[in-house]
Amino acid sequence: MTFSLIGRCARTGRLGLGITTFSLAVGGRCEGVAANVGVCKTQAFPNRTNDPLGIKLMAEGYLPARVMEMFASNDTEHSYRQIAIMNRDGRIAAHTGPGCRGWAGHEEGTDCVAFGNGLVGPQVLDGMIKGFLSRPDDALEHRLMRAIEGGRDAGGQGTPDAHRPERSAAIKVVDRRDYPDVDVRVDVHPTAVAELRRVLEEFKLYEEFYRGRDTDPAKAIPQDVFVAQLKAKRA
Amino acid sequence: MTYTILGRCAKTGRVGIGIATFSITVGRYAHSARSMVGVTVSQAFANENNNAIALRLLEQGFTAKATLEHLKANDEYFTYRQIGVIDRTGAAAAYTGPGVRGWAGEVVGDNYIATGNGLVGAHVADAIARGFLAEPDSDLEHRLLMGIEYGRDAGGQGTAEEHKAERSSALLVYSRHTYPDIDLRVDLHATAVEELRRVYVEYKQYEAYYRHRGEHPRGAQSQEAFMATLNTSAA
Amino acid sequence: MTYTLLARCPLTGQVGIGIATYSICVGLYCNGLRGNTGAVMTQAFVNQSNNPLALKLLAQGFMPGHVLDELKANDPYSEYRQIAVIDRVGRIAAYSGPKNRGWAGHKVGEGYVAMGNVLAGEHVVDAMAKAYEAATKLPFERRLLAAIEAGRDAGGQAGNDGHLTERSAAVMVYGDYDHAELDLRVDLHETAVEELRRAFEEYELYRGYYKERSKNPKDAMPQFAFVETLAKKKEVAQ
Repeated sequence: MTFSLIGRCARTGRLGLGITTFSLAVGGRCEGVAANVGVCKTQAFPNRTNDPLGIKLMAEGYLPARVMEMFASNDTEHSYRQIAIMNRDGRIAAHTGPGCRGWAGHEEGTDCVAFGNGLVGPQVLDGMIKGFLSRPDDALEHRLMRAIEGGRDAGGQGTPDAHRPERSAAIKVVDRRDYPDVDVRVDVHPTAVAELRRVLEEFKLYEEFYRGRDTDPAKAIPQDVFVAQLKAKRA
Repeated sequence: MTYTILGRCAKTGRVGIGIATFSITVGRYAHSARSMVGVTVSQAFANENNNAIALRLLEQGFTAKATLEHLKANDEYFTYRQIGVIDRTGAAAAYTGPGVRGWAGEVVGDNYIATGNGLVGAHVADAIARGFLAEPDSDLEHRLLMGIEYGRDAGGQGTAEEHKAERSSALLVYSRHTYPDIDLRVDLHATAVEELRRVYVEYKQYEAYYRHRGEHPRGAQSQEAFMATLNTSAA
Repeated sequence: MTYTLLARCPLTGQVGIGIATYSICVGLYCNGLRGNTGAVMTQAFVNQSNNPLALKLLAQGFMPGHVLDELKANDPYSEYRQIAVIDRVGRIAAYSGPKNRGWAGHKVGEGYVAMGNVLAGEHVVDAMAKAYEAATKLPFERRLLAAIEAGRDAGGQAGNDGHLTERSAAVMVYGDYDHAELDLRVDLHETAVEELRRAFEEYELYRGYYKERSKNPKDAMPQFAFVETLAKKKEVAQ
């Protein structure tokens, strides 16, 4: 049981994944997010070899639809996987195999694809897409955060009688660099989405400071000084 | 201010990193190991480009030492970085630039590098190494986590007058697969090393189950049924 | 007309091949080994583009079954090939095409494939598999040699006019480096498997020395001096 959204910022070309699940440490299974290439996520009963392979194939120039065909011929248990793929141009391929448990499905929206399994119903996908589209001019990471919150608020995972909490969550956004612009995770937490919101908000306060330490360390202030300044601002 | 253990298992070739720091979301620039090729870290005033470059060079066949030379030649602010590199033979090369703050340095040994900056003293780096070496027959992830915990127990970051908490931490190990064996992060927490241990213990209970359901989805036990066998509550 | 043991060592992750054939210079076709990627071999009517392509597909992360499908789909004469594919963790796919000359077939075991064509019979492949499996205490390369010798001893190859001798043979092992840990060939000899064994035992005496002179050239003993120490050891032994 998981609900996820892959999204693209049409203005900047940034790509990203927002994901949350009842399982633990889902962020440690998100290798398939690559700058200038695309996003590929396999969930439900995940085939771990898929995502690195999907990235390599997209880097070779294969379109998401062709990558999905190759996944199918490479995997005797393809019917148990749920997979969504988006390339740098925003082209999408998605698959929800009949072996996925609970309510499972995927839905495309403007610059995004929402996909989930073990959900209370399709309203979770609607909730994610609505969340993603609610403030379209915001930075991609904020849109992905609202997508996950939208999915949670629409009922999330489980059944009407037995809700399942989100116990891990992650957001990853890539731009042009070899490493992600934004990469925040919550691995084991009883309310992982709320906790991810907390981590994301905190990280956004530090983002520019950390980048400055990388590109211009001679001018960087010590981190405890920066933290003290933040504290003062908050007070 | 950060302290890190890079390690390689001489017996199996597995590579990995354990890291803890006052900064937040450290895991996003510590995903720096590659299957049977090597492991690296760039910290202090972290040059976030370095990890990808180093891994590519290691994969090409450059030694740890040569890789470090490349990173130096490619970075006008090299003197502000603290870097460790271990290659596929277990050879290790480390550097602590003069621009790095606080007590900073490394212990380089057979298939490991214990390195840190902004530490209370050299005894912290020594303790990390001791922790890593304490159980040579244990799995690599276990040894890396012990390294980090010994570092924390020896005083960690800050000065004698003012201790600095660990606010984020991460643990990552690769074996032969294109995806990690284990990839855990604590992005924002008041006691991030304790939290990493908690996450690790929790996740380890599920590890084999998650692997199995991906490789053998037919008839796989549902996660709730599996959890019932653990005698833990869901949230 | 070839018999082959292709394997991945479960202990070390090394990949390797032992091979013997009536053809000459068989070693030149054995370009299907790569550390932490896999072991592949196409024989019988050889398609030389198969091995490099298969390694690239394995490096991408495809399963051996899919790699085999790709090789066949990419080849109008796929029915003439005999193919084995082993990946970095020991998963296997193998194929003996219907147009292989008889007796042809393969046996898949734990981390290995024993295969051959124009053989004296199925018992040759069985003997190779048995010998490889029995030799668990030996280092990986010695297991490969034991398998090839067992194939020879079980009767090896047989064409229209009876037994065919082995005229070339090879044993190769790759570990975690980009270069081979062992790469020995006998390209043209009347009893190539015997000759491969002889070459191997001789080369074994030199391996440590060669490794040392590459790592530490400053202190390296000249080779003729090393050869003299070997000769002296042999004298003492006799």
